[in-house]
Amino acid sequence: MTSDPYGAHVRELFARPDHAGDLEKATARVHIDEQGVRITLAARCGGDVIERLRFLVWGCPHLLAAAEACCREFEGRPVRALQEFSAEEIMQTLPVPREKLGRILILEDAVRSLGHSVGVGPKSGKDTD
Amino acid sequence: MNTDTDIVYLDYAATTPADPRVIDVMTPLFGTGGDFANPSSGHLAGRRAMGCVERATGQLAELLGCSETELVWTSGATESDNLAIAGAARYRADRGRHLITMPTEHKAVSDMFRTLEKQGFEVSWLNPDETGVLDAAELEAAIRPDTQLVSIMHVNNETGVIQDIEALGCICRDRDVLFHVDAAQSVGKLPLDLASLPVDLLSTTAHKVYGPKGVGALFIADRPGCHVEPLIYGGGQQGGRRPGTLAVPLIAGFGEAARIASTEMQDNRAHLQTLNDRLWEGIRDLDGVVRNGSADSTFPGILNVSIDDIEGESLLLALEPLCVATGSACNTKSQEPSSVLRALGRSDLLAQSAIRFSFGRPTTAAEVDFAIARYRDAVTRLRAIAPGRAA
Repeated sequence: MTSDPYGAHVRELFARPDHAGDLEKATARVHIDEQGVRITLAARCGGDVIERLRFLVWGCPHLLAAAEACCREFEGRPVRALQEFSAEEIMQTLPVPREKLGRILILEDAVRSLGHSVGVGPKSGKDTD
Repeated sequence: MNTDTDIVYLDYAATTPADPRVIDVMTPLFGTGGDFANPSSGHLAGRRAMGCVERATGQLAELLGCSETELVWTSGATESDNLAIAGAARYRADRGRHLITMPTEHKAVSDMFRTLEKQGFEVSWLNPDETGVLDAAELEAAIRPDTQLVSIMHVNNETGVIQDIEALGCICRDRDVLFHVDAAQSVGKLPLDLASLPVDLLSTTAHKVYGPKGVGALFIADRPGCHVEPLIYGGGQQGGRRPGTLAVPLIAGFGEAARIASTEMQDNRAHLQTLNDRLWEGIRDLDGVVRNGSADSTFPGILNVSIDDIEGESLLLALEPLCVATGSACNTKSQEPSSVLRALGRSDLLAQSAIRFSFGRPTTAAEVDFAIARYRDAVTRLRAIAPGRAA
């Protein structure tokens, strides 16, 4: 269906948000509430590796899908990989319409803040718990 | 439930499927052997085609309670609205350039008024009360000596709110102001008798009442001062008010749809009320759910609900394969919350969560039960993954 505003990848991520939820004993947690969207990311790390990554999102299907894609991508990878998260890249791979760049940039902020928080400890970073 | 396509369609305010009886009337009119000729042609085939148009005109006139000479065929309600508003405003411009409407109108109306504002007309935009209804006293106070036209829709396409067009029209007639009604959502669904109603111009369309897409009509009352300047020129058909070759199969289909509506309206309305009540009872206990538009003053074919702290676009996707609307179908690409709901005093957050369920003749109780279950599941799921409630 060419007029589908989501596409198969976004639909699959939206329908199966396996990483939605919170984490007990998170190494770090970031919460952002800006421009009409809310994002919470939580990570539990073992050494330099992200063992678990979870999200909570109030936003459109593309943002939900991007958050789920992000968690699938970074679980099991080194903490420093979080700094490599790129809004532009995920905009293209899902894909996400250009008019939604703003909210994907907020997700980028959240992911990079989480990476920073994980790097410096569980009680710091942007608006962490 | 449409098991062939795995969809559950509850968007009958956007459009309806053509009734099989309508299709039966239309089909022979397309090809060789049928009355396919140009109805403006004077030969036998043309006269036969014109006979089909005249029959349909009579059927629609009977449904509306008007004279056949008061009807002009158009391409749909958008054209009818444009012709009525621009046509009447321009025809009476030498008497005054003040016009009145509401921000809750369909874009076919509101965008036409904004265009006229750019052309030097002054428009007063009247807000409804919190139930969506326009207070007649508000209209009376807004009419000025230079007011020429008031345009108020009968049934709101988003909320189903019914305006008291008789009371509003009486005020207009007393003040010698033309009164246009966008009745795209009400013709064939609510009783209308234009012989007695104080309405000068009324827009309608076939595809909201189980007729074909691509045909509508404008009622122009046969009374002094009620006239519209044409929007298009050439050909002279329909007295020059709306020239162009008449779409005989579509017009015949609209006529048949009008005939069916005339005979089945009461039964249909009772059916719609049962479905509306069933859906609302099935979801009203959800935390934060509100009905947009008073139950006492809304058309039962539409139920518009908002819910606290749910993102509307995600809700719409989570509801699939349920086919419903977040606003008017013409406006679904907009990221802006509905101006109709904001005019009712809803916050942007609540307005953006609005879902319009709309029912039709084919809708079953099983489909409504599916919608109830789907809506409840979607709300639960989206709240579970939203920060603030789950975090």
